Amino acid sequence: MTSQPLSLTLDPITVEVIGAALSSIVEETGEALVRASYSTNIKERRDCSTALFDRAGRTLCQAEHIPVHLGSFLDFIPMLLKDHDPAGLRPGDVFVGNDAYRGGGTHLPDIVLAEPIFVDGALAAWTVNLAHHADFVDRAHAHIYQEGLRIPPIRLYRAGELQKDVQELILLNCQVPRERLSDLRAQMAANRVGVQRFQELCARHGVETVLASGEALLDYAERKMRAGIAALPDGSWRFEDDFDSLDFDEPIPLAATVTVAGDEITLDFEAPPQIRAGINMTRTALLATVYYIVKSVVDPTVLPNAGLARPITVRAPDGSILNCKHPAAVNGRVQTCQRVADLILGALAKAAPERVSACTNSTCTVALFSGNRESGPDKGTYWVYLETIGGGGGARPHADGLDGIHVHATNTSNLPVEALEVEYPLILERYELIDGSAGTGRYRGGMGLRRVYRATEECMVSVDISRIQSRSWGLQGGGPGGHGGYVLSPGARPFERGVGVLRAGEWLEVLTPGGGGYGRPGEANDSTDRRPIAAE
Amino acid sequence: MMDGTRGPEPRSTWRVGVDSGGTFTDVCMFDEATGRIAVWKVSSTPDDPSRGIAQGVGEGMTECTGSPDDPAAAIAYLGHGTTVATNALITHRGARVGLLTTGGFRDLLEIGRQKRPDLYDLFAEKPRTLVPRELRIELPERVLHTGEIETPLDEEAVRVAARALKDAGVEAVAICFLYAFVNPTHEKAAKRIVVEEMPGVFLCASHEIAPEFREFERLSTATVNAYLGPIMHRYISRLTPRLADLGLPVAPHLTQSNGGVVRFEVAAETPVRAVLSGPSTGVVAAQAIGARAGFGDLITFDMGGTSSDVALMANGQTTQTNESVVHGYPIKAPMLDIHTVGAGGGSIARIDTGGLLKVGPESAGADPGPVCYGRGAAEPTVTDANIVLQVLNPTHLLDGRMEVHRDLALDAIGKMADSLGMSVMDVAQGIISVVTANMAKAIRVISVQRGHDPRGYALMAFGGAGPLHAVRLAQELGMSTVVIPRNPGILCAMGLLLTDLRADFSTTRLVPLETGNLDTIAATIARVQAEASDWFDNEEIDEPRRQSTARVDMRYEGQNYELSIPVPEEPVTDATLGALRQGFTEAHTRMYGFAVPDERILCVTFRAEATGLVRKAELPERPLGGPDATGAITGAREVWYPETGGFTETTLYARDLLAPGMTFAGPAIVEQMDTTTLIPPGVTARVDVLDNLILELRA
Repeated sequence: MTSQPLSLTLDPITVEVIGAALSSIVEETGEALVRASYSTNIKERRDCSTALFDRAGRTLCQAEHIPVHLGSFLDFIPMLLKDHDPAGLRPGDVFVGNDAYRGGGTHLPDIVLAEPIFVDGALAAWTVNLAHHADFVDRAHAHIYQEGLRIPPIRLYRAGELQKDVQELILLNCQVPRERLSDLRAQMAANRVGVQRFQELCARHGVETVLASGEALLDYAERKMRAGIAALPDGSWRFEDDFDSLDFDEPIPLAATVTVAGDEITLDFEAPPQIRAGINMTRTALLATVYYIVKSVVDPTVLPNAGLARPITVRAPDGSILNCKHPAAVNGRVQTCQRVADLILGALAKAAPERVSACTNSTCTVALFSGNRESGPDKGTYWVYLETIGGGGGARPHADGLDGIHVHATNTSNLPVEALEVEYPLILERYELIDGSAGTGRYRGGMGLRRVYRATEECMVSVDISRIQSRSWGLQGGGPGGHGGYVLSPGARPFERGVGVLRAGEWLEVLTPGGGGYGRPGEANDSTDRRPIAAE
Repeated sequence: MMDGTRGPEPRSTWRVGVDSGGTFTDVCMFDEATGRIAVWKVSSTPDDPSRGIAQGVGEGMTECTGSPDDPAAAIAYLGHGTTVATNALITHRGARVGLLTTGGFRDLLEIGRQKRPDLYDLFAEKPRTLVPRELRIELPERVLHTGEIETPLDEEAVRVAARALKDAGVEAVAICFLYAFVNPTHEKAAKRIVVEEMPGVFLCASHEIAPEFREFERLSTATVNAYLGPIMHRYISRLTPRLADLGLPVAPHLTQSNGGVVRFEVAAETPVRAVLSGPSTGVVAAQAIGARAGFGDLITFDMGGTSSDVALMANGQTTQTNESVVHGYPIKAPMLDIHTVGAGGGSIARIDTGGLLKVGPESAGADPGPVCYGRGAAEPTVTDANIVLQVLNPTHLLDGRMEVHRDLALDAIGKMADSLGMSVMDVAQGIISVVTANMAKAIRVISVQRGHDPRGYALMAFGGAGPLHAVRLAQELGMSTVVIPRNPGILCAMGLLLTDLRADFSTTRLVPLETGNLDTIAATIARVQAEASDWFDNEEIDEPRRQSTARVDMRYEGQNYELSIPVPEEPVTDATLGALRQGFTEAHTRMYGFAVPDERILCVTFRAEATGLVRKAELPERPLGGPDATGAITGAREVWYPETGGFTETTLYARDLLAPGMTFAGPAIVEQMDTTTLIPPGVTARVDVLDNLILELRA
């Protein structure tokens, strides 16, 4: 510390006012991104996130979009600053990146755009956004080099000028370049909004006040987090569960030990070494998952900034599935994130069962379609359609689990049928809750979803499911949820590890798991929902 | 013709607006002949609001029209705003509804967009599903996105379903099939069969109420309409005879969420379009006052006890939205873009576990109310902060009718100050700052998030607490002008006298904006305008009073969110297409900072806004007098300001004594029965010819 004390006194009210402004900036940039975008995955499914970072790359505020995206944000600016001298940054520089090992990302389709915000000629903050580009499909996942183009943080714009060479290199490596280009433009539009709004905020309050408030907001999140943790009983609780997937044969055992000591919490994970499949998690993906679930249980109102991480310690073996090293493949890491979040719920259920839900469907079911258009004005062009399907939420101590929702690390929308069928050669035959998929209980788990697609043109399909052999556990005597799975129409060629071809007229039915129940079934049930519960 | 033996024909010159709120029913009466405005207030009758309304109108007419023998004959118009639809939706006291859907999609109403209600809160609940699963029936039928029928509707299955719903005792039926907005044949057939099987049931088909793409939002709209239909029917069927008993010679009208009014019979069919009936009238009044006072670019700020409603108008035009989530339910209906935030005078201040001061959204309500009411409340509210600062009269409110206890408020905020390590006055002012920040956030949603810079707008404040907080809010947003209308407390009722008949028509048709499609585009515009024209006929609006404008919602091919661009005057030619292209390019650049010159632009939804002009209340003007306002001074009080860091002597003015032309400077406070206006140091005030108070903030 030099003798340069901040010459201003910050009161809690100024901090609160600036905190509200920061959250409205990130929400607004997110809205601009969705509205200007082109791909169904962003414009309708909202698979994107926005955030503001301080000069050092600490999260000032993350919009309420997709929790796992924080994983891509956590290391982006620090890694960028390793490669690029801050003194060389100029207004209008825009950095692009996606790599899991050099770019702070958690899987390659999540492309980050970051722009430094200058106020009075000096770097004040960063506006950063991430969009999940539905590209890099139909790949193998033995290691990351098979999964798509790796981009370290490099300039896409230099002082406002597009680096065409860089853009051309990226687009040539994409399967649907027109969509990528348009979505990158939408990401640019979002950052532009972020820069402008942050500069306006500084013009109103003074840049020093805004930056000092940002600092104070981190401290504030830390205090709230500590207060919440301190309200949990001290102790150590271990929970284990199997992780199953079509990508490997034997379920993988995972365990978490949660230790609460005073106002700090430590999470120790046990996991086998990383494998040649896309389910490995980078450390940042693990951290994002832990921060999400600890905040949810401890105090959902804690500001989503870097301060909340301070009382949390996370340990996982180096080079393991939960803390992988180069060159592990990571494309399907969200499945693992979901299982980790439920592991932590399971451990915390032993400490404070009234603070948690039973196990959610524990997965983020994915259906990915691609092919060459056989008709229409875009005949011959390649199309890619990615969707993720919700499942059951876990039953709560005083209510049933939510039906057919996205849980934990993800929270994307479905694509309206009336948008899906216009854009892709697919017809949706059914979309409904699955009877009997919910865990029984005093409060039943949430129900899983059934989605049935009929191909009108031949396409390549990849399905990512879980809870195939295992089931989502109940709490306090509640029953387990149903399985995930898929069914093909009679005569269709069987898929291999969830991957195959669907010919015109054939259909695919995807089923997602339900959540676990809470409390013994048959106990007095004050639930208002009289829907039949899972038949066991 | 006068024959000299009889007096003049009794002239119908009074226009009546009735705003039925939770506590009071306000009747605002306006005499077209003299420009006189009279207000009559009665207690509301929540069990059957029509009683209070009839009583209020009856008494108001007798007292105000000056023709006690046959007061009804003096009434030329009656407009009414109601919260019946909103309340039924909030309290889930709508009708028992049956739903008919495309096979495979009966759960869509529950699944929605599959997002969870709160990102982090594991215990958050989804909004309640309005139709239970056993009353949602799937029918064999399928239309494709091209409009082609893949599976014909099984009419016998519709009949069986209708009988089952009848046996289940449903009062209303909603029908929503995929692509009904492209090809409504199946919905129409199903509707015909349901009518045969269930005569008299309330029916809503999705292609009629919201003929636009995105099936869940259309389904939700049709369902909410059916859910509210029987409630609105009952309400109107009770109110109509009561008003008829009063001998009113006019067809009463009801306000819609778009700020326009329609006849009762029309309103009864489309209750989903009335969910913002209440706050929309305040916006309409603000628009009329703004237009007369010369403020075209306005942000309205209606602050009450528990919440604040804000809306924006540019160039005198209110901002309309065609889709919004109201009380948890997506609704596709023309609505004024009104945003509500849980920040009002009764909002409670608390220190949270992280040591920051939070205000609202919890409210102390009317009982126990703020701490200063002395009814046992312990947690300080925004009103308590204003009492401590002495911005509000520290001993009495409501023109002296209600005693308040500043010492109690001081104690409560003092406790908070101790734990924050701040002075009690800093915390009281802090409560104001935090609630102001919350309201500013709401205004940012309707301004900056929609591409408007609030600094170019004037803030019009009304409602009981609006004028008290308006300058602070304007300062927070960098706005330089605040307008306080003459009667901030009854603006909603007044709005009913200032609004036109309004209806909106739309159709979705995806057409690229290209010369080759000129005929299709022209025909589609003509089609929505023909619907508008039919409506004019039905409403018996004659030619000179008809006003209709067309708009096209457009986007780049590949995007899914449209920007709405007005169609220049007919006829539709290549030049029209050029103007639409230019309008879109400008709007896109304004919103997103870029445009793509070679990209194909798609027309998506064609809209017509039909307005039947009614004779509206003319706001009376008074001649400008001299600037000296000393005649309106009633005294002085010490008020605490952050600008001075202490108590500062502040001049008190009576609103009733202020006259056009008067000017004065802050620190000042203007008191009137229904509100208090704060004019801090550095702000100047003047009274315009309409008796509006115009406050100018230093840049």
